[in-house]
Amino acid sequence: MMTQLLHRRTPWAVWISVWGLILGGSLAEAEDRPISFVNDVMPAMTKAGCNIGACHAKAGGGRNGFQLSLLGFEPLDDYEQLTKSDRGRRVSPASPDKSLILLKGSGQLPHGGGLRLKADGEGYAIIREWVRQGALYDKPGTPTLATFTIQPQRGTVPRKTQQQLTAVATYSDGTTREVTKQALFESNDSSMAEVSDGGMVSIQDLSGKVSVMVRYQGQVAVFSASVPLGAPVEQLPPSNNFVDDLVFGNLKELGIPPSPVCDDATFLRRVTLDITGRLPTEEESAKFLANVAANKRDLVIDDLLKSPDYADFFANKWTALLKNRRDDASDTISNFAFHAWVRDSLLANKPYDQLVRELLAATGTVIGNPPVAWYKRVKEPKQQLEDVAQLFLGVRMQCAQCHHHPFERWSQDDYYSFAAFFSQVGRKPSATRGEDLIFHQRGVAQMANMKTGVPMKPAALGDVIPAIPPDVDPRLKLADWMSSPQNPFFAKSAVNRYWKHFFQRGLIEPEDDIRDTNPPTNPELLAALEKHFIQSQFDLKELIRVITRSNAYQLSASPNSHNLVDRQNYSRYYARRLQAEVLLDAIDRLSGTQTDFANLPPGTRAVSLPDNSYNRSSQFLRVFGRPEAESVCECERVQTSSLAQSLYLVNSAELRSKLADGKGRAERLAKEDRPAEEKIRELYRVAYSREPRSDELQHAIAFLTEPRLNAEGKPLDTAQAARENYQDLIWALTNTKEFLFNH
Amino acid sequence: MTTQQLLASLRDAWNGRWRSGGVAAILALLLTSSVPAQSVGLPTPRLLTTMPMGGQVGTQVDITITGEELDDAGEILFSDPRLSGTPKLDGSGQPIANQYTVSIAADCPIGVYETRIRTRLGLSSSRIFSVNNLPERVQKPGHTTVANAMELPLNSIVNSVMSGRSADHYSFSGRKGQRVFVDVASRGIDSKLEAVVVIGDSLGRDLVVERRTGSLDYTLPEDGKYVIKVHELTYQGGPAFYYRLALRELAADAVAVRQPATRRVNAFSWPPEGLSEQAALAEIEPNNTRTQVQKITLPCDISGAFATAADVDLYEFEARQGEVWWIEVASERLGLPTDTNAIVQQVTGSSETEMLTDVAEFSDIPHPVKVSSNGYAYDGPPYHAGSADVLGSIEIKADGIYRLQLTDLFGGTRNDPKNVYRLVIRKATPDFAVVAWGLHQELRNGDRNAVSKPLALRGGTTQALEVVAIRRDGFNGDIELSMDHLPPGVTAQGIKIPAGKNRGLMLITARADAPRGLSFVNFIGTSSMDGQTVTRPCRVASVAWPILDSWGEIPSPRLTADIPVSVSGIDQSSITIAPAAPMLEVIAGQTLTVPFNVTRRCEFQGASAPLRAIGCGLEAVKALEINFSSEKAEVAIDTAALKCAPGDYVLAFHGPAVAKYRHHPEAVTVAEAAKVEAEKTVAAVETEAKQAMELAASAGAAATPEQKAAADKSLAEIAEKQKAAQAVLAAATEKLKQATATAQPRDIVDIVVAEPITIRIQPAEAK
Repeated sequence: MMTQLLHRRTPWAVWISVWGLILGGSLAEAEDRPISFVNDVMPAMTKAGCNIGACHAKAGGGRNGFQLSLLGFEPLDDYEQLTKSDRGRRVSPASPDKSLILLKGSGQLPHGGGLRLKADGEGYAIIREWVRQGALYDKPGTPTLATFTIQPQRGTVPRKTQQQLTAVATYSDGTTREVTKQALFESNDSSMAEVSDGGMVSIQDLSGKVSVMVRYQGQVAVFSASVPLGAPVEQLPPSNNFVDDLVFGNLKELGIPPSPVCDDATFLRRVTLDITGRLPTEEESAKFLANVAANKRDLVIDDLLKSPDYADFFANKWTALLKNRRDDASDTISNFAFHAWVRDSLLANKPYDQLVRELLAATGTVIGNPPVAWYKRVKEPKQQLEDVAQLFLGVRMQCAQCHHHPFERWSQDDYYSFAAFFSQVGRKPSATRGEDLIFHQRGVAQMANMKTGVPMKPAALGDVIPAIPPDVDPRLKLADWMSSPQNPFFAKSAVNRYWKHFFQRGLIEPEDDIRDTNPPTNPELLAALEKHFIQSQFDLKELIRVITRSNAYQLSASPNSHNLVDRQNYSRYYARRLQAEVLLDAIDRLSGTQTDFANLPPGTRAVSLPDNSYNRSSQFLRVFGRPEAESVCECERVQTSSLAQSLYLVNSAELRSKLADGKGRAERLAKEDRPAEEKIRELYRVAYSREPRSDELQHAIAFLTEPRLNAEGKPLDTAQAARENYQDLIWALTNTKEFLFNH
Repeated sequence: MTTQQLLASLRDAWNGRWRSGGVAAILALLLTSSVPAQSVGLPTPRLLTTMPMGGQVGTQVDITITGEELDDAGEILFSDPRLSGTPKLDGSGQPIANQYTVSIAADCPIGVYETRIRTRLGLSSSRIFSVNNLPERVQKPGHTTVANAMELPLNSIVNSVMSGRSADHYSFSGRKGQRVFVDVASRGIDSKLEAVVVIGDSLGRDLVVERRTGSLDYTLPEDGKYVIKVHELTYQGGPAFYYRLALRELAADAVAVRQPATRRVNAFSWPPEGLSEQAALAEIEPNNTRTQVQKITLPCDISGAFATAADVDLYEFEARQGEVWWIEVASERLGLPTDTNAIVQQVTGSSETEMLTDVAEFSDIPHPVKVSSNGYAYDGPPYHAGSADVLGSIEIKADGIYRLQLTDLFGGTRNDPKNVYRLVIRKATPDFAVVAWGLHQELRNGDRNAVSKPLALRGGTTQALEVVAIRRDGFNGDIELSMDHLPPGVTAQGIKIPAGKNRGLMLITARADAPRGLSFVNFIGTSSMDGQTVTRPCRVASVAWPILDSWGEIPSPRLTADIPVSVSGIDQSSITIAPAAPMLEVIAGQTLTVPFNVTRRCEFQGASAPLRAIGCGLEAVKALEINFSSEKAEVAIDTAALKCAPGDYVLAFHGPAVAKYRHHPEAVTVAEAAKVEAEKTVAAVETEAKQAMELAASAGAAATPEQKAAADKSLAEIAEKQKAAQAVLAAATEKLKQATATAQPRDIVDIVVAEPITIRIQPAEAK
């Protein structure tokens, strides 16, 4: 109806008819196929990049008042913008080449966006012809895009070769058209594959899985390429479970030989750091290395999972993502309670779906039910839906609040339907300022679409939810939907997140951006993990168990001659710098000191800190990237290296004071009357969980026995020299990659 | 926050690192802390801690107390005669300061009791003393690691004080399959401890943790040693963070019973008068769906539970047009963390074609007065007299079937059969319940001492209680307030809760010359219903700890078991404002001038202070201006402007005034006398020494060795006496110094309440 109305009202239709009769020009052109605004003009403008965020997309502000919908998702609005706003001067049917859209786009008039439409190009011609035909909106009955496909959809493409993609649009009238030139192509990893405007994929030197996203008229298609290395894979580690089957199967298919399984000492250090966020103790190392049982690695995994250190470490991970942030002293109790709830839930191995249910549908007081504290941090339904979607479903919905998601199928209706689950969260003031009691406010859950004003009932990302009676808390229905074994996101998102925790790279990357256009590097493995997780009743410890028991996890970090560049197929362990908290605890352990945190018991580990407030007093935590709990994205944790980190480790007052601590390890070792070799062995066992090699031992003994001189060149007294020697040795160990990294 | 921290925070704010909330918080802090706030309320006696905090039935236990203004601490009093105490004596039969021996009679029930101390200022505020049936012990400080965990036998109670930044450790041995119940009493016995309880293995590794309730019901997984860890949720500690940990072995089928605790303020409105202890009916699960609905007939009295997550309890009954039914549910008022919601719907059609039409929905019982927002400035009492329970009525418009749906709005994800409720549906039984607490003044000051002070009166003081009512089943009449069994020299004047309102006052006045005294008073609300006089007890609530900075602490109020009113008999009010006559009459429409006599006993800051009118119907009377240099004051009452109906009105005034209060000045006199006495003793001993020296010198060489030895001995003894006398003098001098310092005038915001006067408004003569 709207189209009809608009069509009737537009003056151009009348004007062009009159103009045609009077001038009687270009009859041949007029008899050509009518140019469709939706099917021809919009793709041409999208291809030209007119409607991207930095240019004229409304979502990005729309430069110079010319505001188009992002990537052309709202053609009707765009038509209004082109033909009516700014006094209609953007199109000029009387003289199509004088249309502002063409003059600016082709650079004939100054244009901040530069040349977007070559005057002799296809895009220019389409738009010009559309203007010439009267700049009309599509008549009712104009075929609409039904499906969009890319050919081929997948394939194995050798390195340094090319693959032409062909984009095909199928319309509602059954016709098809090749639209390769109009479609947009984008590689998900330009270091593996580049793609031209015309759809030519150029595979680079890296092997693995790469995909190209192709967009056309609001639809997307994906080309997935497997790029084999082609090296002989003659020996694979034995398979411990399905993880190994699928990782090694993929490596074999790609021809990437994996590194061998790591030694026991490396495994113990790695798995202890990954599960508990701490170094193994000397006793643990000695016991493990002396154990000859065939299943000793499995047993140590079980022990670590039983320990409260596991709960502490993963609570640290989750509370940052759940924004357990202290902005005011009155947040203290709620933050402690919330952190404790997460930590205790993990200790008790509460099923993941139950954990999420308790959080989503929290009611009551913070002390009585600590997940209520999440609603103190995340107050608005829109923020609640966005956080829940990203954190627990791996779906980023933020874009869909204002416009159709550019890479996804999510519309604004989807967004507000999802937000409607949170529309009945009732609040009552509590005794603590800024803190509410949370309850289900009886009523029909709905939320108005910001654009259309239409109230949307709860619906869950493509799934229909039966009508929710006003007495029922819609959040419980959301939790039901999420924990359903058929849910396409919930388990997948969790296993991908945990996989990344242990392998440094998600099967889908980023880990919280699951979409059709961002396929996993090993879809079979992701599906198998998902299935296993669901079958285990969302058992997080079992998920960790199955991951860490695999030989894929236990591969050496040392590359072989083929897999050095592999960063996505898990052909070796990808070493990672210890997280800020873990590193601080590790330095404390090695230096024999203890960082003191305000108002917490002496001995509290940095990984056990309840919230971000301790970052303020700890330069170390800030420099090494401990998050401030402001985002649900794991990317808030900074894992990159920096000059500040290097300087800190080399010469910070804090590190120096730890090394020189009167009760520290250096002081103790300097005073102890036992052979230097024993002391060096102790240091290596603490720092690396292994014995020193003979060359390392020799170097260290030589260093410790070197005469030391003071500033005047005179020999230091023995005690002082010993003290400084051990401080220097610990300092040196601290600054090694083997210490700083989990490997 | 130190100055350095503040400056650092501000620097961060300038650097843009703080979000606006952070900056606001800093500014708020600066604004509120830039001028040191004056303390509010004259010194008042408070009992703050006892150690231990309880004892076993049938035993005697020595306790040590601490508190504020416990000068001349004397008798210890309990709220039950089966508890008694005497000062503990030292070897020479002298009382040991702040120590008592408490006797717990063999027939004393397990429970919590009020403990108070008599002092020169009157009876102190209360601290809970718990009585239980298990052997008790006291934990000494320092058991803060697994290695030095205190061994705790099964079936015992330990009394302990939590230190900051630490966890107390206990160890016990158990067998596989043995059920143990670890129960920490803290909030329910006036402690500030938010308890976290952990059971760990022999190495202290956490096995199970409980942070919400303070109790753990745990079946041991294997034979061996276990460690119990207790700490405060945020690792706070100090004398106020005490607790009693009970470790019990329970049979597999036994019900785990928590240690007794005090009652929340809102429990005053439960149960309704005459309700039986046990409900007549029980909920029958499952009753969650249309097909499982539980049929009942009205009236009814049912016990049920929100046992499972998102539990829905459906009851169905028949009702006839014109009937009015009152529905009351108690759950939160039973001390549970619930929020009951009740929906009544009419059911039409049958089975699949069933239609439900809303008749009524009930949620909270509203607070009768605005409750404090716990900000810096006082904006209402910190007492929640309303409830998350349900009380309301339905009027049946048509004969038919009706369905009542009960849910717990806090129970969506919780499985806990302990969350019970009591549902009563009855014909209207009009009634009321009343509760009172110390009236405070709207002040821009974070000191909330005044809301927790005991009714310990100085001579010439009027102390006000704010009284609120919960009205039941449509009761809408006046509620008169009265208090009897008062100590000599004390009067009490209630300001009624008028019809349709929920707030009244009780003013308690001690005459200036009222003798030292104590009574446990009877405080009642009275109304008339159907020609019958109905009397209901008025409960009193207090806050467990004086709050000096309301910005940093949330009060935890509770009901008290009894209402003591005491008179110092020594100290007097800073100022007394008394009406020249107890009653004045005025004809409606005319203006009445009410004179007051002002007796000022210390200096005040400023020249005058306005006192605001309080009194039912007379709140609009203009302020009574007290000129501190005058012994008179008066206020004009324009009855025409007030538009009050003829009748008797009680009027009082209250407001803050900054007194330059001298605390315990008589201690200076006593200390001076003691010093004079000590000086005399010193002088006497010196004289004695001089004489002895002279005697020894006169004997000279003629003295026999025995005489010389006796003289030397005598001189040595006198030297000792000299030393002792000097020590006494030094102590007396120091005490005088302290007493003098204490008695120095100190600015204190006194909440001044004028004695009430009755204004009788006579009807105007008809023209």
